[in-house]
Amino acid sequence: MNIVRYTYPNRTLSPFSLLNRSPWTGLESEIDRLFDSVLSDFASTSAPDRFPVDLYEDAENAYVRAELPGISRDDIKVEVVDDTLTIEAARKLKEDDKEESFLVSRSVSLPDSVRSEGITATLENGVLTVTLPKREEAKPRKINVSVN
Amino acid sequence: MSLFNSLIPAFRRSPAVTSATSSKDLGPTIRPAYEVRETQDAYGLTVYLPGVAKDGLEFTVEEGRLRVAGRRAWKRPEGWTLRHRESSDANYELVLTHENTVDFDKVHAELRDGVLRASLPKHEGVKPRRIAIS
Repeated sequence: MNIVRYTYPNRTLSPFSLLNRSPWTGLESEIDRLFDSVLSDFASTSAPDRFPVDLYEDAENAYVRAELPGISRDDIKVEVVDDTLTIEAARKLKEDDKEESFLVSRSVSLPDSVRSEGITATLENGVLTVTLPKREEAKPRKINVSVN
Repeated sequence: MSLFNSLIPAFRRSPAVTSATSSKDLGPTIRPAYEVRETQDAYGLTVYLPGVAKDGLEFTVEEGRLRVAGRRAWKRPEGWTLRHRESSDANYELVLTHENTVDFDKVHAELRDGVLRASLPKHEGVKPRRIAIS
């Protein structure tokens, strides 16, 4: 009888895949270092034109989290127009005496279940969390069915 | 700029997860975005650590290496279903080498809105000096 190691057909399903290094990590960090040293002057990886956005949902609300480190409350604008939520932030770069600012923005389509009022947002440790309450009809409800 | 970003894959993807380099229990870590600027008197270090609060931050120096480790403060509440994920749960770790040019007694560091800004003054001997010719 042979003992053969079973490899999960899809790596992301393996319970250990998140804990171990991916086989590409070493190569990736070497190549990243090479690029960083060559391009660090004119391609700032800390101010790209996009920021990560996560979407969550629970029974009451939908949540949108955006990572916007170093940006103050006054420089962030959150707007809801029809079914689209737009987060716009002004990144300011201070270069000795000059101050440059440029806008980054992301838009997210909102599902129909979200109400257009009562939307709140908080900024903590550079992460913006927007809470969008759901419409009453869209919340999960228990329906009692009587059986005759 | 977006064409440039699409040519260089590193600018688009989120960084690969690496295992923590030290014994601290950070779990898998990612390298945060950072900048180092040099002036005549000091180095300015800016590290972007969204989601890290002051008590989750470790800023240590040992054996010629400067290490910044950040633990995220947010835990996903029960009952939140994930719909789309772009950020990472991994803690941050950044290790930089210094060749003993920094005077660590005079370091000023501040963490605000998820950004660590540190000013690392240079040792007196390393600053440019004028040598008088007699």
